[in-house]
Amino acid sequence: MNRLESGAWYAIAADHDLPRNHVYRTVLGGHELAVWRSTDGAVHVWEDRCPHRGVRFSLGEVVGDELRCQYHAWRFGKTGACTFIPAQPDLKVPGSIHANVWPVATSAGLVWTGIAPVGTPPALPPGAVIRAIPIRRPAVALAHALAETPLRGLALILQPLDEGSTMVRGIAGGDDLARADLALMALRRRLEQAA
Amino acid sequence: MILYDAHHLAPCYAVRLLAGCLGLAPELRPLDVYPGHEHRAEAFLAINPLGTLPVLVHGDHVLTDWQEILAHLALTHDRAWIPAHDAALFGWLGMARDLGASAGAARLIDTFGAPGDAAAARACANVLLDDIERRLWFGERAGRDWLVAGAKPSIADLACFVFIAPCEDGGLSLRDRPALRRWCDRVRFLPGFVSMSGVFPPMANTGR
Repeated sequence: MNRLESGAWYAIAADHDLPRNHVYRTVLGGHELAVWRSTDGAVHVWEDRCPHRGVRFSLGEVVGDELRCQYHAWRFGKTGACTFIPAQPDLKVPGSIHANVWPVATSAGLVWTGIAPVGTPPALPPGAVIRAIPIRRPAVALAHALAETPLRGLALILQPLDEGSTMVRGIAGGDDLARADLALMALRRRLEQAA
Repeated sequence: MILYDAHHLAPCYAVRLLAGCLGLAPELRPLDVYPGHEHRAEAFLAINPLGTLPVLVHGDHVLTDWQEILAHLALTHDRAWIPAHDAALFGWLGMARDLGASAGAARLIDTFGAPGDAAAARACANVLLDDIERRLWFGERAGRDWLVAGAKPSIADLACFVFIAPCEDGGLSLRDRPALRRWCDRVRFLPGFVSMSGVFPPMANTGR
């Protein structure tokens, strides 16, 4: 398991991963996350688990400013509080029914979260957000490889996924997304074959 | 129009899905493939000696290839679904067959006890899914929503969807393939969309 560093911000999605009416799914250091955007453009990062029966929120659907669980269609508002239980339409939903909400920040075209993150996400050079590529190597091994052989023109950020795999995100200076993609896929082949 | 069908087989689902999108309601003749093996029975082999499903009987036509059925329905009902002027259509239909032999095979091995090497099938499928993810992501950057360039989906989208949407039943994952998940949502939200076991229908965003 990749231990998450308390206080740090981790990039877990790009802005373009979050169209309206879509629930994006990812994992950060073994924590499954569901990420969605409300109509005001705000981004919400929740544990990917409905508090009712534990079904993944990312199987559900965004309806306006609410996320609706696929299993029993319980609805949850932007604060994470359950707003409506279809099987008991007259019930005033107790405030204790709540999605597990993570901190969120958006900057440099990326969505960030973490465990008690401090301050603001790290500043990145200007450029375009590249396609994120998962590599079956632990984040520490990737950081080591990138320190040894930096990829020119790319500011890279590592998202530890589950045990032994890492999502490589970043910004391409000069906006050359195709070149960045080729470089990252080559890195992936090199590291996964060496493993 | 008669469709010999098995609910859980992806190629049959592709035909039902296109029929739904076209607003057609073929008369379904469900076969008990598992455990009944009705597709190996003489009565069905007299219709299709290959013993494969789906089979579409439409007037004098008896069509036994699922992609030919998709093409036939699109050509006879709405040609927007078959942009044959674009060579990419044929590439993507080939991709769909390759997905059937990999992601589709893994699902049948894992969930229906079909014979085969699930690990090898998954290895092939992962290569294909990674490539589709890459092409969809760059397509989105260029303002494209669908596999073949153009404002509308094609039979290639449906042909690939029926293997990709239920691929987690075969031990594959869409988790780190966000562009594929967005494209699956676009297919799910098409007017006339129908679901299959393992493929969630839209709950609310279709206006129904």
